Amino acid sequence: MQSMKKSILSHVNLRRSTERWFLAKDINVLMHLRGWCSSTGASSDPILGQVIRLVKKYDRIDAEKDTFMQVTETADFQKDLSLDSLDRAELIMALEEEFSLEIPDEKADKLTCCKDVAKYIASEADQKL
Amino acid sequence: MSLTSAAYVARRAAQREKVRTLYRRALKDTLNWAVHRHLFYDDAANLRDRFEQNKHVEDPDTIDRLIVDAEASYNKWRHPDPYIVPWAPGGSKFTRNPPPPEGIEIIYDYGREDNN
Repeated sequence: MQSMKKSILSHVNLRRSTERWFLAKDINVLMHLRGWCSSTGASSDPILGQVIRLVKKYDRIDAEKDTFMQVTETADFQKDLSLDSLDRAELIMALEEEFSLEIPDEKADKLTCCKDVAKYIASEADQKL
Repeated sequence: MSLTSAAYVARRAAQREKVRTLYRRALKDTLNWAVHRHLFYDDAANLRDRFEQNKHVEDPDTIDRLIVDAEASYNKWRHPDPYIVPWAPGGSKFTRNPPPPEGIEIIYDYGREDNN
């Protein structure tokens, strides 16, 4: 009886732990970082991926045109992706909403490529924790 | 001649930066006023059109006047209770859970305090 109980309990525990694992995988990257990385510094790679995905979704970067392929971590928003300064302001605002951040105006003016943005977001996340 | 042209370039750069930050602030304010997301898209497009109308103005004095007008209208329509990101200064979670000061050690011994 005891052994049966034990085996059932361990089975249930296993299921719960795997469930939790799947949940943790699906969760938003930054929430993930907030939850898990309180001791270690947040690495900027998942953030960078999310930034690039979001920049690709921006409607003035057309999926049909070549600019879509040019969205890389170091592509300058204005020079390489042919966005103008107002587009960049919109893009930065979209990124702020995505990561629920507040980027001061003078800093937002200096973010010119995906890598910059990811670095800034990672440094912010470090400060917040 | 070169001095005046340098001054002109500097003035234009300052104007550009002003317009950039103004657009950014105005766009955020548009989001504050919009109750729904689909309302925001129209408002944002209108705002963008208003900026695009004067895209090709070259005369610095005219630009200055336009900027002053735009800032006046921005200030007139500024939202009284804007959205603030919870972790930003003024937000609902700002400094709600600050790290303990240096040199303070937390001992996790709930319920076992008497044994020490």
